[in-house]
Amino acid sequence: MRTPIEAPITSTLSRRGFVRAGGALFVSLALPAQQAQAPAGNSVDPTQLPSWLEIRADNTILARTGRTETGTGMSAFYAQTLAEELNVRPESITLILGDTDRTPDGGYSAGFLTGALNLRKVGAYTYQALLTLASAQLVVPVTELTVTNGLVSGGGKQVSYGQLVQGQQLDLKIPISGTPARVDATAGNGLSGLDGYVVTGDPPMKPISQYRIVGQSYPMPGIPAKVTGRTKWSCDVKLPGMLHARMIRPATLGSTLISLGTLDKQRFPTAQVLRKNNLVAVVSPDEWEAISAARAVANTTKWTAWAGLPGSDNLTATLRAVNWGAPCETHGNAGTVATALAGAARTISASYEQPYVRHAPMGPYVAVADVKPDGAVTVWTHSSHSQGLRAQLAHALSVPVDKVVVRWLDQAGQYGRTTFGGDGAEADAVILSQLTGKPVRVQWTLQEDLAWSTVSPGWVADIKAGLDANGRIVAMQNDSYMPKQMDARLLGAILAGLPCSTSKPSNFLALEWVYDRIPAVCQRGFGMTNLAAETPAGGLRGNIMRTPGQRQQNFVLEGLINEAAASAGADPIQYRLDHTTDQRLIDVLKATAKAADWEPRPSPGPGARKSGPGTLTGRGVNIMRRSNAYWVGIAEIAVTPETGAVQVSKFTIGLECGKIINPRQLDRCMKSGLIMGLSETLKEEVTFDKERVTSTDWSTYRILTMAEMPEIRTVQISRDDQGFGTGGEAANGICAPAVAAAFFDATGVHPRRIPLTPAYVMRLLKT
Amino acid sequence: MATKLAFTVNGAPRAIAAPPQTPLLYVLRNELNLTGPRFGCGVAQCGACAVLVDGHEVRSCVTPAGSVNGKHITTIEGLPALWAAGQPSAQTGTLHPVQQAWIDEQVPQCGYCQSGMMIAAVDLLSKNPNPTAAQVKDAFTNTPPSPHLCRCGTYAAIVDAVLLAARTMSTGKAG
Repeated sequence: MRTPIEAPITSTLSRRGFVRAGGALFVSLALPAQQAQAPAGNSVDPTQLPSWLEIRADNTILARTGRTETGTGMSAFYAQTLAEELNVRPESITLILGDTDRTPDGGYSAGFLTGALNLRKVGAYTYQALLTLASAQLVVPVTELTVTNGLVSGGGKQVSYGQLVQGQQLDLKIPISGTPARVDATAGNGLSGLDGYVVTGDPPMKPISQYRIVGQSYPMPGIPAKVTGRTKWSCDVKLPGMLHARMIRPATLGSTLISLGTLDKQRFPTAQVLRKNNLVAVVSPDEWEAISAARAVANTTKWTAWAGLPGSDNLTATLRAVNWGAPCETHGNAGTVATALAGAARTISASYEQPYVRHAPMGPYVAVADVKPDGAVTVWTHSSHSQGLRAQLAHALSVPVDKVVVRWLDQAGQYGRTTFGGDGAEADAVILSQLTGKPVRVQWTLQEDLAWSTVSPGWVADIKAGLDANGRIVAMQNDSYMPKQMDARLLGAILAGLPCSTSKPSNFLALEWVYDRIPAVCQRGFGMTNLAAETPAGGLRGNIMRTPGQRQQNFVLEGLINEAAASAGADPIQYRLDHTTDQRLIDVLKATAKAADWEPRPSPGPGARKSGPGTLTGRGVNIMRRSNAYWVGIAEIAVTPETGAVQVSKFTIGLECGKIINPRQLDRCMKSGLIMGLSETLKEEVTFDKERVTSTDWSTYRILTMAEMPEIRTVQISRDDQGFGTGGEAANGICAPAVAAAFFDATGVHPRRIPLTPAYVMRLLKT
Repeated sequence: MATKLAFTVNGAPRAIAAPPQTPLLYVLRNELNLTGPRFGCGVAQCGACAVLVDGHEVRSCVTPAGSVNGKHITTIEGLPALWAAGQPSAQTGTLHPVQQAWIDEQVPQCGYCQSGMMIAAVDLLSKNPNPTAAQVKDAFTNTPPSPHLCRCGTYAAIVDAVLLAARTMSTGKAG
C-alpha cells in the first residue's frame, strides 16, 4: 500500500463556485449505469462526464482520451496524473486511447503538457462531485472527508467510489472550449483544432507538493502485453473478406502513369490490379500473392520520365540559390542588431547546414480500411492524431467527418510525422476499399516508406555574433533558411487526385531564448515550399520531426556559442553561465558538469591536431530550453583522423523539467532520445538523385547501431514549484552541438554540418 | 503451387498448405496467427521478424517456409514454454527470463522491434550464458545477417535487460 495522503485534499469550491468557474455540477441519481454517450454521428459528447470517465462498482476506473501512446510513456503519465487528482491507485485506471468514436477530446500527441491537462481537470471536477456525494451519504461535511485509494472516510464511516455510484449515473457537466480538428486552408499546416476540445474552468487541483503517485516510477502499462505477444498492433488487424494490398509507386517523384503492367492470372489467380489516377496497387486475399504480383506488375508498369530534383549533393548550393524573400517569422530587430554588430570589438560568423533526414520508423506505414456501401468509413491506424486523420480522410473523400471512424492501435513510433493527421497509408487503404467494396489492408514496404513518406527538410543557416573587448557576446543575428515542414497530405490522396489539406511555405523559429545577457538579438526564419513541389506527387514533402525546428536551430545557436567561447579563450560552460541569469538553467548546467567530471578549460584541447596517427579525444557541451524544461548535453568523443571515424564514447545528459512524473521512464526516454540524436549527428542523410530518393533501405539510410552507443549518464532534477515540462521528447535536440564541440576540442576544426560521416570528416580535416 | 508443410511451432505440431517459397513470416502471421514476429524491412536488415529455428535466430521475412519443413520454430509467444521445457521445476505461466527482464528493465518504447530483440537475446544467451555488456553490443550489431535496429533508441535498456536475464537464468540453472 502506498502511504496514505497525510494532508487530505478538501474542497474549497462551493457549488456556486463551480458555476462561476464555468462548470455546472449536477448529481443525478435517477439514471441507470454509467455509460459513454454515443450520440449520432460516431462522436462522443465531451460535455458529459461519462464520456471521459466511468467509475465502476468494483472501484476501477475507465478513462478515455483522444490522445495516443507513441512510446514515450503517455499512457502511464495519464494514469498517474489522473490517479493523483482522484486519490486512487494508477493500477485501477484503464485507458481507451485515440478511437474517434470512443474518446471525447481528440487532440494531437505532441506531448504531455497539452495531453494530460484535460484528464487532470476532469479528474479534479469528478473528485469534487464525489466528495459531495459522499458527504450526503455519510452525513459528514465535505471538509471532514479524506480519500485514500478511492475510499472516502469521515466521521468514523467509509464508502468507496464504486459504492457511491453503484447503479447510478454521476451526471457531471464538463465545461469545454475549442473545436475538433478540421482541414483549414488558413492554418499554416492546413489543420485547425490541433488541441481538439479543451477542458476549461479552474477546478481545485492537488498541489504538486502533495503528490504521492506522480514522481513514482509506475510501470508502463502496455509493456507486459508487448513482451508476450498479446498486444494487437495495427498491422495485426484482420477482417472477414479482407484483401492485402501492395502499392506500386511512380517511377520518379514527378512521373505520371502511362500504362498499367500486366497481371499473369495463371501465376496470381486471385490477385487484382487497381488504379485511381496515379495511385496503383495490387490486392489479393493472400498477402504473399499480393507481394509477388505487385513486384511483377511493377516491372511492366510504365510511367513518364522526370528528372527535376537537384540531387542531394547539390542541396546546399540549391538552397543558397533560392530567392527567399521576406522572413516568415522574426524575433528581435535586425536593424538594432546590425548597429550593435558594427559597434562590436570584433565579430565571428559561420554558416551551418544539414541534409534532409527522416523519421524512419522500424515498421513502415500500415493501415486497414473498411468502406461500406453507404459510404461509412472505418480505418484502423497508428497515427498519433486520430481526429486529425479523421478530418484529413473526410476532406479527401468529400464526406462529413461523422462518416469516418478512426480506431487507434499500437504500432512503430512515428516521431512526429503523423502529428497533423497526415502522411501514412490510410488514404491508400480507404481508396482501395472503395474500389473493391471489401476491407483492405495496405502495408507499405520499407523501400516505399524511405522513398515516399514525408521528410525533415535540409537547411542552411547564417549566424553572426559581435563580441566586446572581453569576449562577451553583445549582439547576434541568426537566420535560418529551410523548406516548409508542415505538409500533412496523405500520399494516397495526392496520387489519386483527391482533395488534400494545404500548407504554407513557412519556417518557424523554435528556440526558447535563455541567453538574456546578450543585449541585442535578432532571429529570422525564411521558408519555401517543398523541393519539386510542382510535381503530381508534391515533391519532397516536408514534415515536422521530433523536436522540430529547435534541434536544427539549436545546432546553429549552440554551435556558435561554442565557437565564440573558443574565440574568447573561455571555458564553454563558464561562457554560457556568463550569458544567462536563468537560475534553472544554471542549476542543471552545474549539476550536469559535475556528473561529467568537467574540468574548466577552453577548447581546443592541448593535444588537438588535424592529422597524424592514432585517436584523438575531445569533449563538448550544449544546452537547450524547451517547453518548460532545461536540457544539458556533454559529449566525450574519439576521432581517428586517418579514417575519419567519430565514436561518441560517453555522453552525460542533464534535465530539469519541473515535476518529474516517472523517473524511471524519464531515464529511458533521455537515453533513447539521445540515441536518436546521435544517430542524426553521426550517420543520417536522405540522398536523392535528379529523379528519386536513393536512400531506401537500412544499408543506404543508416541509423545508429547498438555497438555505436556511448556510455550514458543521466542527471535528473525534479522541482515542485515549476509545474510540468516536457521530458519525453527532446533529448535528440542536445546532441549535434555537443558532438561538434567535442570534435573541435579534439581537432581544432569546427564542424558546421552534420552528419559527421567518415567521408565528411576526412574532407573537413584536409581543409 | 501450394504444398503441405509441417513444423513444430512453439512446441505444437502444425501443418499448413502454402507455396514453399512463401516467407515464414507470412505463414506465422497469417496462417498460424502468431503476430509476435513483425514485418520491418522484408530484406533481413532490421531483425523485427526474427524467430528461432531449431534454437537459432533466423529472419523469417527471407526464410522460405519450405526450408524449415520439419523443424522447430519458436516465436515470443512460445518463449515461456521453451523456458519451462528446460526447467522441470518451473511453474506453468512463468515467463522466459528474457521476457521478464524486458518487463523489469522497462525496455519497450513503441516496442515494434522488441520481439526480434528478445529472440536475439535468447539466441545469444544459449551460446554465451554470461556475456559482458560489450559482448551484448557486439552480438546485437555484428551477428549476420544485420544489426538488430531500434529507432526509439532502447539499446541501453536492452543491454541492461540481457545482463539481468543472464543473471536470472544462471540462478535458475544452479537451482
